[in-house]
Amino acid sequence: MTQLLNRWFPSLTLACWSGILLYFSISGRLAAFLLPAFRPGVTIAGAILLVFAAGMAFAGPAPACCADNACEHPAVRPIGGRLLAFAALLLPLLLAVECPRAGFGVTVLQNRGVATDTAGISAKARPPAQAATPAQTPTTAGESTPDQFIPKTASGAIAVSVIDLLYAAQDPTLRVDFDGKTVEVIGQLMAQKLAGPKNNRAKVVRMFMTCCAADARPIAALVELPDAKAPIPELSWVRITGKPAFPFEGGRTIAVLKADSIAVTEPPEETMLY
Amino acid sequence: MAWFSFHFSDFAFSFLSILFEGVPFLLLGSLISGTVEVFLPPATLARLLPRNPTAAVLLSGLMGGVFPMCECGAVVVIRRFLSKGLPPACAVTYMLAAPIVSPLVAISTFAAFRAQNPWVMTSLRLIFGYMIAVAAGLLVQRLPVSFVLQPGVLPQAPAPERTGLRFAAAVDETGGTGNGIGSRLLGVVRAATSDFLDVALFFVIGATVAATFNTAVDQAVVQPMAGNSVLAILIMMGLAGAMALCSSTDAFIAASFTAFPFAAKLAFLVFGPVFDAKLYFLYGLVYRRKFIVLLAVGLFVAIALMCLRISVLAL
Repeated sequence: MTQLLNRWFPSLTLACWSGILLYFSISGRLAAFLLPAFRPGVTIAGAILLVFAAGMAFAGPAPACCADNACEHPAVRPIGGRLLAFAALLLPLLLAVECPRAGFGVTVLQNRGVATDTAGISAKARPPAQAATPAQTPTTAGESTPDQFIPKTASGAIAVSVIDLLYAAQDPTLRVDFDGKTVEVIGQLMAQKLAGPKNNRAKVVRMFMTCCAADARPIAALVELPDAKAPIPELSWVRITGKPAFPFEGGRTIAVLKADSIAVTEPPEETMLY
Repeated sequence: MAWFSFHFSDFAFSFLSILFEGVPFLLLGSLISGTVEVFLPPATLARLLPRNPTAAVLLSGLMGGVFPMCECGAVVVIRRFLSKGLPPACAVTYMLAAPIVSPLVAISTFAAFRAQNPWVMTSLRLIFGYMIAVAAGLLVQRLPVSFVLQPGVLPQAPAPERTGLRFAAAVDETGGTGNGIGSRLLGVVRAATSDFLDVALFFVIGATVAATFNTAVDQAVVQPMAGNSVLAILIMMGLAGAMALCSSTDAFIAASFTAFPFAAKLAFLVFGPVFDAKLYFLYGLVYRRKFIVLLAVGLFVAIALMCLRISVLAL
């Protein structure tokens, strides 16, 4: 029993933790949990824990202490407590199996409050200010224009994120890039409570994380749904094509995407914005 | 909507994200701890510190500047330092100061608050963090060691009481295997493994509390209190304790609480790294519960008063 508790249980626990860390790293699922800067640390930690697990299995704990039946180390817990402790340490394994791929559910979004302006976004997420716009800088033949650097989809729509629309609502110099043009945005549709003058406004939501998913906050742009919208399950990932408008409502300029089409789509590779 | 609504899948998602964020730092702390255990003789540590106890505490508060460590890793490291003879007052000071008084935290705070008085916020955070840590250290100097530390943390402490997991007990300076470099490296791995598993248990418990709060509690209930400076400070300190964020990135979260005044955000940034849900359990590895409660109350009151004083400046 002593061998089991001092050698094999610790080894098994470390191997489980290593397996979880390495699985989420290698499968790419880690992207939904952490900023890119933190991800290599998880992979390295997984590899080191694997070494620890092997070390514990093959070399065992310190000889002449807890590995034999003569151990009288003063702080050793009774067997029941140690088994309970190992059970607690295996909790992450259970959670890893049960963890949803799609991210948080609607309750978390509601609990954290969906922001429709940039107040909930840290300054580091701000898109770079446009160095110049066609109206500001005359171009000559052969020179590149800022328009060329705006990412576009295969259909020619400008690919934007929810953050772009929120910042454009606050910054006229960013707004000129999108105003009146066809754009495409991907996000999760919150259409449970329609609002707006025509009662046809929903929200397209993305989670914005500062460090990890635990601190992520939902941010959303408003979407005016097309008339013939087929019912879409709440929080489905959707690809919305339409024209953004920036009306002044409730004492502030807001971003409203007047949707021409909405299609359910697969979640993007990076489900969180940062 | 109910103020508390628990969903297991959301909890799992939040818990794992805290786990992924924290484990590399815990492991780093464990590796440093294992290295200290095997390669740092106790006499060396004693030689590095000033003989004057007050000067030693003052210096310990600045050690995070050259030896930065997040709050989780700091607990692991100081436990080992204590067993090597570091005075408890210096250990408490370093443990509280290192997650705040460090270049990494200064840079992240400045970046997060670059549109909200960055110099003032960064300076006050570091100064308050240092002052609080030193004050706690000086107080600990006057307390009996048996009131502060868990039995068994110090080598000479009489200790029949049981605490922590401790399935692989502390090893001797060579890991119990010999003096060759291979044996010493094995000793490092053994000590680091032991420390990691001991701390991981309390980290799991703390992450469980934090993930429950982060997903199940409607955070809109605290928003109406942002207008009152006293309540705002208390609420933000409570949030910092419940959210259990890492001190290297918590400034970005604090900066996003735009409805709350400057002093409340400062209170969040000073209190969070020194005491939160996960730290309550992690501290239990080293300190007695009574001392932890006293420390928590003392830190809470002192930081709240300091930040209340700042709030009248209307920054």
